[in-house]
Amino acid sequence: MKRFATALGAVALLVTACGGGPQSGGDSKLTGGKIVLGVLNDQSAGYSALSGKNSVEAVKMAIEDFKAKYGDKAVTSDIEVVDADHQNKPDVANTKAAEFYDRDGVDAILDVPTSSAALKVADVAKAKKKLYFNITAATTDLTGKSCNKYTFHYAYDTYMLANGTGKNATENGAKNWYIVYPNYAFGQDMERSFKAAVEKAGGHVVGEDAAPFPSDNFSTYLLKAPTLNPKPDVIGTMQAGSDLVNLVKQYNEFKLRDKGVGLSVGLMFLTDIHSLTPAALAGTTYTDAWYWNFDAKNREWADKFKARTGSRPTFAHAANYSAATQYLEAVQAAGTDDADKVVAQLEGKKVDDFFLRNGEIRKADHRVLHDAYLAQVKQPDEVKEDWDYVKILKTIPAAEAFRAPSPDCQL
Amino acid sequence: MTTDVLPEVGRPARARAKRFARPALLAAGLIVAVWLPNGIYTGLAVDLLCWALFAVSVDLLLGYAGLLSFGHAAYWGSSAYATGLLAVHLGLPFPLAVLGGALTAALIAIPVGFLAVKRVGIYFAMVTLAFAQMIYFIANEWRSVTGGENGMQSVPRTLGSADLSDNYYFYYAALPIVLGGLWLAWRIVHSPFGRVLVAIRDNPARARALGYPVHRYKLAAFVLSAFVAGLGGGLFALAHQFVSLDTLHWTTSGKAVIMVVLGGIGTLWGALFGSSFVVVLEDSLSQADFASPGLLTGGIFVLAVLLFRRGLWGSVAAFFRRR
Repeated sequence: MKRFATALGAVALLVTACGGGPQSGGDSKLTGGKIVLGVLNDQSAGYSALSGKNSVEAVKMAIEDFKAKYGDKAVTSDIEVVDADHQNKPDVANTKAAEFYDRDGVDAILDVPTSSAALKVADVAKAKKKLYFNITAATTDLTGKSCNKYTFHYAYDTYMLANGTGKNATENGAKNWYIVYPNYAFGQDMERSFKAAVEKAGGHVVGEDAAPFPSDNFSTYLLKAPTLNPKPDVIGTMQAGSDLVNLVKQYNEFKLRDKGVGLSVGLMFLTDIHSLTPAALAGTTYTDAWYWNFDAKNREWADKFKARTGSRPTFAHAANYSAATQYLEAVQAAGTDDADKVVAQLEGKKVDDFFLRNGEIRKADHRVLHDAYLAQVKQPDEVKEDWDYVKILKTIPAAEAFRAPSPDCQL
Repeated sequence: MTTDVLPEVGRPARARAKRFARPALLAAGLIVAVWLPNGIYTGLAVDLLCWALFAVSVDLLLGYAGLLSFGHAAYWGSSAYATGLLAVHLGLPFPLAVLGGALTAALIAIPVGFLAVKRVGIYFAMVTLAFAQMIYFIANEWRSVTGGENGMQSVPRTLGSADLSDNYYFYYAALPIVLGGLWLAWRIVHSPFGRVLVAIRDNPARARALGYPVHRYKLAAFVLSAFVAGLGGGLFALAHQFVSLDTLHWTTSGKAVIMVVLGGIGTLWGALFGSSFVVVLEDSLSQADFASPGLLTGGIFVLAVLLFRRGLWGSVAAFFRRR
């Protein structure tokens, strides 16, 4: 046993000593003679289902489709994907992002959930002058005071979620709101934007409460809701992940829907509905960046995705595919992976792929604009097909879905 | 510096071997430290330095004073924030910013330690944890200063006109501070003060009977340990040019304790090995196709506690001593 301990120590030393890899080099138009995409996201914790490994698959699909489209004319056939689990920790994200760019020769990093981690990766991208497409982090700082030339914000942000749900649900008749939000940066952002959107649309916020984060008991707020005067038509919850799951379960236990208090969710992914079951969420409205069964075009891709992964894509998966595709197209057009030239290709570009409907990569702040959707979870008897849990109430046009460029952003 | 915690009966042969072993080990350690950024990814190398200091600071307290602090992230993290603030707002050269951060950590440790050392065992751990959680929530709520959940971005690291943007150079710039911190820890352990700490750890009643002010000694050890943790935390902030709330989170305290237990309590060297092991393991797991890294690190921890109570280094040292 003592010898085994020695051996273990030796292994530890060995592990410490290994790991140095070759630096990328080469003088072709592509650094290292190839394109490398790096997917950095949560592959083991709370956000692994909504993006995670399946986003790596989505990026691989984008590469295959790109190769198939251009064949011999493609700028290179040597396109790789590397991926890493940042465990939602900003310091791990920082080390991994720098390692991606420096050691693995990554040309563009994709995804990165958790705002603090995403902000850090944007910083690294700026320092290394390499591209970063943020997809699953929601903070508007990425296109605000922390924006930079090499960072693009895809899919969604707190403004888009709050504005989409707050404005449209109010216009659809939910006049009185009670807002519950988790007391941290994301929740506070959401609460501010949400309240502004509701009031602008002529609604009224009768009450708002900050819940501790994380929390597993929301009964205080839920029991309070029907007693407020005037009685709220709907509870707007900004909780996400397991907090959302707990809140929804308790909402159902207290039968608030039967008491005439609806539920509206700030941020929800298809995988959240899948794990909670549509019955638990029936009738809930939220803003979606993309929905797989919206039309034939989406469905076609969703079928391919399902064939590979066994599940239907969330908007994060589709956005990863789209971002990878747009990056490769830009490299193809520029004929090089030189970051500045690729950025020049992307800036101001109007795009229309299955994810980016009426899409535009806004030059002013690198916000990627596209149509968003007001979605409602179906009643259980309306669900005819697995994963088809949502009906789209309304398309929010790209021009209205996102905020105007922030004056804080100096690219 | 290797095994002096365990009570030993001096034998001439062993004493002679020890005389040779110590400089040889030290030289080997120094060579590895100087070579490191050429062998592994530089960002990781800098992380190893920072965590080594943190683990040593916990070992100082746990191994030599017998105090299990479960809230040491408070000092690591508050120094990270203080260092970040000094660098961002005053543009201090990085060694001064780190020193400022470490002093801040030591300052915070005084009142916390004053209250905590009055308790022992699990109660001590809980008191330190409670204060660490308080500091965590203060940092979370004090958004105008700390950036709350989003953290503090773009912390500059400057030293005159030297360009430290590359981690390779920053490693060598930071190395003297780390070696200084390790030397401080070694010095503390091998001073009369350190001997008294060990005496207090082993038999507080007797130490008191001999006239040593036990609480004051413990408090001094606590503050010194916080200072060393602060050196590491400040460097960590500069290494990442970023301070996140994670630096104050209780899991960070736990990680440091795990490092020390894995490496070997009360050996200092063990803390170095334990921290390197954990940091490298976490790094390689993040890129391995393994769904739950926590399961593996947890499993290794359980195995280590069950099979090698002395930890990696402690077991190796015991193996050689027995021969």
